[in-house]
Amino acid sequence: MATGPLRFRTPHIEELPISQSRQSAGFAWVAVSTAQDDPAKNWGTTNRKRARASLGGQTEQQKEALSARVQRETERKIKELNSDNSRDVVIDIAKKPGQSTGGALKAGKTTGTKKILASGKTFAHYLDDEEAEIARTGRRDGDADAPAAAQRASKTPLARRKPRADSSASHSPAPLVAPMAPPPIPRLPTTDSSAAPIPLDGLDDDDDEEEDDEDRVPRMPTSVEMDALLNAPPLTYNQARSAPPPAGMPPPRRFCETCGYWGRVRCLKCGAMTCSVLCKDEHDQSRCLKMYA
Amino acid sequence: MARQKSLSTTTLPQNELAPRTLILDNGAHTIKAGFSSHLTSTPASTTACHVIPNCIARSTRDRRTYIGPDLTTCADFGDLAYRRPVEKGYVVNWEGEKAIWERSFLANNANNDGSELGCDPAETNLILTEAPNAPISLQRNADEMVFEEFGFGAYYRTIAPALNAYALSLFPSTPTSPSGVPLECMLLIDAGHSHTTITPLYHGRALHPAIRRLEIGGKTLTNRLKELISRTFDVHREDHLVEEIKEDVCYVSPSFTQDLERTWKGGRYDGREVDSSVVVDYVLPDYEHIKRGFYRPHDTDAMNLRNRALGIGTETGRREHVVTLGNERFTVPELLFTPSDIGMRQAGLCGTVLQSLDALPEGLRQAYLANIVVVGGTSLLPGFIERLESELRAAVDEDTVIRVARAEDPVKNVWVGGARLASDEVVLRSVMVTRQEWAENGEVWVRRRFAGKKGRGTHRVEAYLTLVGSSMCIIALHKASKAINTTPARIPPRLIPATELAFSRCQVQGSSYLAPGGPTHTPSPSRGTAASPVHCGSVSLFGGIALP
Repeated sequence: MATGPLRFRTPHIEELPISQSRQSAGFAWVAVSTAQDDPAKNWGTTNRKRARASLGGQTEQQKEALSARVQRETERKIKELNSDNSRDVVIDIAKKPGQSTGGALKAGKTTGTKKILASGKTFAHYLDDEEAEIARTGRRDGDADAPAAAQRASKTPLARRKPRADSSASHSPAPLVAPMAPPPIPRLPTTDSSAAPIPLDGLDDDDDEEEDDEDRVPRMPTSVEMDALLNAPPLTYNQARSAPPPAGMPPPRRFCETCGYWGRVRCLKCGAMTCSVLCKDEHDQSRCLKMYA
Repeated sequence: MARQKSLSTTTLPQNELAPRTLILDNGAHTIKAGFSSHLTSTPASTTACHVIPNCIARSTRDRRTYIGPDLTTCADFGDLAYRRPVEKGYVVNWEGEKAIWERSFLANNANNDGSELGCDPAETNLILTEAPNAPISLQRNADEMVFEEFGFGAYYRTIAPALNAYALSLFPSTPTSPSGVPLECMLLIDAGHSHTTITPLYHGRALHPAIRRLEIGGKTLTNRLKELISRTFDVHREDHLVEEIKEDVCYVSPSFTQDLERTWKGGRYDGREVDSSVVVDYVLPDYEHIKRGFYRPHDTDAMNLRNRALGIGTETGRREHVVTLGNERFTVPELLFTPSDIGMRQAGLCGTVLQSLDALPEGLRQAYLANIVVVGGTSLLPGFIERLESELRAAVDEDTVIRVARAEDPVKNVWVGGARLASDEVVLRSVMVTRQEWAENGEVWVRRRFAGKKGRGTHRVEAYLTLVGSSMCIIALHKASKAINTTPARIPPRLIPATELAFSRCQVQGSSYLAPGGPTHTPSPSRGTAASPVHCGSVSLFGGIALP
């Protein structure tokens, strides 16, 4: 029963005559979904020529899909470049010949260390665990939010609560409940234009106007700001990563795969760049098929 | 959870520090280890620092497994399979790391032959370094392993860049400070094996919101070089060899495009002569007669090359395997400055430095740009510092002073800083955490303590005073430089502590160099008295300028 656009190229449909109908031809027109008709189902061809030539061209989604594949390839290559062990090496730490206590020492002295020594987690696992925990609880273990959980629910109504004087005087690094009071030093204002710079104006009054803008010395941070900077919690691993360069930068440079000079021509089959006809020939002979097959 | 078990009987009383401190700079490529003591007056020198490869290697030819320092005894580095317990800068595989530590410096290992690093953990303090931004569970694991498994008496875990602040300053205008006093501000670029980290430090403490990490390190460069060489000669399994090639032959070119032109063989119709000053032939070692590879300028005569490959005309009379390296020499280190060459979506080293500075208040930019210190093995590449400086120069204002310096020994500099820190008893006592404290207070407390969240009333106080007071000095210097206008003002604008200006050791010399006094931070905050010298200091500064 044909209910909508069918996926089969050669559908076999038999329309059973429910009512009297006149004799019709032994075929039926069926809607077959082609690439052009249904853009949602068109995942883009890998044949770039067809893609370019097809009616309507490629949609944004298809371009995204193709470049996503390229992106995945580069990601994989970069991960390989940054891999610690060049291949899957399994090296057993052989039993050392002078080891008297053997097994017990090897396994670790306490349950905690036994677990650590026996765990086969890689760095990616730890990172994922940490990201999951942050996503789940919104904070990292041991950072400034911990006191919120540690504080027991007090039954004293708010009006009667005495201010907790001990926390500000404690010298322990236990997480503080009250926000830290700024250190009580005689803070010199940063824009102290009354005292020191008076002799300064006499020095550069000849070219005062034009140098005013360039000469503006940026303001030094206050002690509160420095305090905040110094006590800020450390970033997570992913936050500290360097960001991509701003979009205005020139596009990434491409190099020849054979010799390393600038890449100028792109191989039609595999998309690799080569610099000259010589390198392209060499690429076609030895390297192109590897990517293909 | 109670932790009564496994407290050994030889714990020291709480207020006593062990006489010796073991400083371990636990890197991904090598461990720098050595002892330092706060009882002797002179800090340990770099000769006390041993560099131990931090890996376990298996050689299929010898059928031996080399753990840690054994690697120096290996004769045949060919086809050596490495396994590193440190992944991306953090110790992940404690089983391997424990084996390496035991082999290197724990006295209970019977094979501890000839190494001066043997020690008894219960009677040694430990300073351990790690990379910044470690996941919390890895930090927790490290603490637990050190206290429970190895049984050290007292321990301080810090991020590696922070220890550099305790090393001697590299800029000639800063006078030497006694050990244990950190340098005031420093932007540290640690070009290491797994990644490159940029950390602004203030009095030895890191400004965490501004730490940035570029994920290109020596390891990436080595792997990239492996790929490039494997186009002609397959070296995918030869880690050690390619590392040696990289150290011998690679350099950072000051102008990438020009060098690339010089090494091009030309197209089909416009063949060019290859520039023999850049292209080299590297002779690979065969570990029988040639123990270590070497290189020589490229021999353009193809007959010669073939002869040598067959063994005719070589020094040893044996076959020589030669690899020609042209633009690989400088395209590989170029990755540090342009990671987009391999498609990595991160800014280059210069861009990352600027990102880190953007996260700081604007007033600190000049101070940090003038105190850039580069450490790490990858910084030994020739041309690295010059290239970094020229890129930064092109990216910031013309007025700002940029000083970039590489530590004398970039590999050991963190260790040297740690040694100087450990030789000062006051500072050491304030940072160490003993086993008692760990057992009583738990791991969260210990972690916060290591992150620097001590109680109030410490040396932070006078630090602000110097910073604020010296803002006027910065203004003064800036205006003074415009007024004097003799030579291009090479005034090092590091933050001059106000306490030192009072002694009016600043003199404006003919060459308009200022020699500011060094920081002598007294542990007790001298707040009241320091307020007035600020004004006196600035007046005396201008008194100096008024002289012709």
